[in-house]
Amino acid sequence: MAKMLEIRNLHAAVDGKEILKGLSLTVNAGEVHAIMGPNGSGKSTLSYVLAGRAGYEITSGAIVYNGEDLNALPPEARAAKGVFLAMQYPVEIPGVTTLTFLKTALNAQRRARGEKELDAMSVLKLVRTKASALRVSEEMLKRALNVGFSGGEKKRLEILQMSLFEPSLAVLDETDSGLDIDALRLVAEGVNALRSPDRAMLVITHYQRLLDYIVPDKIHVLSAGRIVKEGGKELALELEAKGYEQIVKDAA
Amino acid sequence: MNAPGAAEDFRAKGVPHRRVEAWKYTDLKSAVDVEQVASATAAQWTLESEGAEPIDFHDGGFAGAMGEASMAFAEAGFGLRVAKAGKVRVNFATPGQARVRLVVEPGAVLEYIETAEGDGFQNIGLDVSIGEGAAFTHVRIAREGRGVRIEDVNATVAARGTYRLQAAHFGSELSRLELKIALNGESAAAHLSGVSVLDARHADITTHIVHAHGDTESTQLFKHVAAGRARAVYQGRITVAEGADGSDSRQTAKALLLDERAEADLKPELEIFADDVKCAHGAAVDDLDADSLFYLRARGIPDDEARGLLIRAFLGEAFDGASDETRALLWAPVEEAL
Repeated sequence: MAKMLEIRNLHAAVDGKEILKGLSLTVNAGEVHAIMGPNGSGKSTLSYVLAGRAGYEITSGAIVYNGEDLNALPPEARAAKGVFLAMQYPVEIPGVTTLTFLKTALNAQRRARGEKELDAMSVLKLVRTKASALRVSEEMLKRALNVGFSGGEKKRLEILQMSLFEPSLAVLDETDSGLDIDALRLVAEGVNALRSPDRAMLVITHYQRLLDYIVPDKIHVLSAGRIVKEGGKELALELEAKGYEQIVKDAA
Repeated sequence: MNAPGAAEDFRAKGVPHRRVEAWKYTDLKSAVDVEQVASATAAQWTLESEGAEPIDFHDGGFAGAMGEASMAFAEAGFGLRVAKAGKVRVNFATPGQARVRLVVEPGAVLEYIETAEGDGFQNIGLDVSIGEGAAFTHVRIAREGRGVRIEDVNATVAARGTYRLQAAHFGSELSRLELKIALNGESAAAHLSGVSVLDARHADITTHIVHAHGDTESTQLFKHVAAGRARAVYQGRITVAEGADGSDSRQTAKALLLDERAEADLKPELEIFADDVKCAHGAAVDDLDADSLFYLRARGIPDDEARGLLIRAFLGEAFDGASDETRALLWAPVEEAL
């Protein structure tokens, strides 16, 4: 299988403090990997480093995506090349309607790839075909981006974007946080519908619960900025039973 | 006050400067002296009006020191009275001083669309009298300039009358729009909103709303974007007179600083002499939100475009209450400036 993402001995710092301390992992096209870890292990830092957020500095190592060094690219170029980060805390942007935002983002990505931009009507049609399965209403599309959305609505909109942008590499950062069981199921169904042989996913989560719905091919346990244990989907159950502390101790 | 009285008073006080509290952020004395103000030529303008008849422009009052100067020294001006429905478009394109007097009769409607442009010293004094149940809309576009540009507005609003301001300011070396609006009867209202888009320019909006009667309402929303060595100023004073119970006033001023050298001075001020009133005010100075910017970029929107989107969204709120036509009129120069 083709390597889609290869992270090699990655060290990254925020405000001069090293958070990732030699993280390595490989995700092939068509695979779904989960990264599990306790609070403060570096999960969100990893997601921001992958998306290219300013202030998250790679001090050594490399992120290779489809054979290309991601570190050299600004966030918008990564998005255009098919990297998508579903955020733990999607931001609220008053004054920009959700539909306008979707159109602007979709066309910016298309433009960057040298594809023809879509007119407002085509975007609306495309969004509608994707929105109903995720129960994103027309009314939500007309509202300002994420403003006044419930936790579940925000996460559904993240998955709607993923389905609209059709990324090759999707990183889901704590997509389960703040969701009740019905919302979680709906979001997981949306994610599962996007599993495909040419797409890789990295599901970052604290809890095993999400992995009952999005079943990963492989699980990596992150602790103190490093992968300390890897295994199949059954590792999630072991973590649930023993807790992070014991697993990390066993691995040491 | 008559012209000689105003002249004597203005000369005695001199050109306002930064040690005068009301002019703290607009040091006019650094740019002009008393003689320049006293001897300024008559401003020239182009005027189109419908539904209005001419009246004498000499009467009326002023909000602040430069309104007084316009009363004292302006040799030119125009006055219009509207009995039913009027629309007036005026462009002040030259330096100099002028007085304008508008009378909106009870139940009448007037839309006053004003542009100011050019360099040099421009000082316009406007007096507006809004009758019972009358509606006055003041649309103002002050284009980017290099001189000193001032407008001083003194308005009185009778019962159920409305003063609505929608402004777009692009700044000058020093510029100021100063308004004093007296809400003199039940359900009289003032709704003021506007934007300042400044690149290395100065724009000052100073308002004073007097709730002289109970059950009156005022709302204000001003948004400023400042780049380069720009300075955005908002001073909003609300006076609720003794006995003016049931008055409701809200004011919000926000500034977005795009540059470390840019500055915003936002100063709400409340003087309340009545018991049963609602007064809400808020002021905030920020730079572009890093989380929002990252979110947009992570979705593929390039940095410049993402910044533009956030700036437009920030400014756009100020025109939410405007008609489509007015919004388009005010937005076109905003787009040019961004």
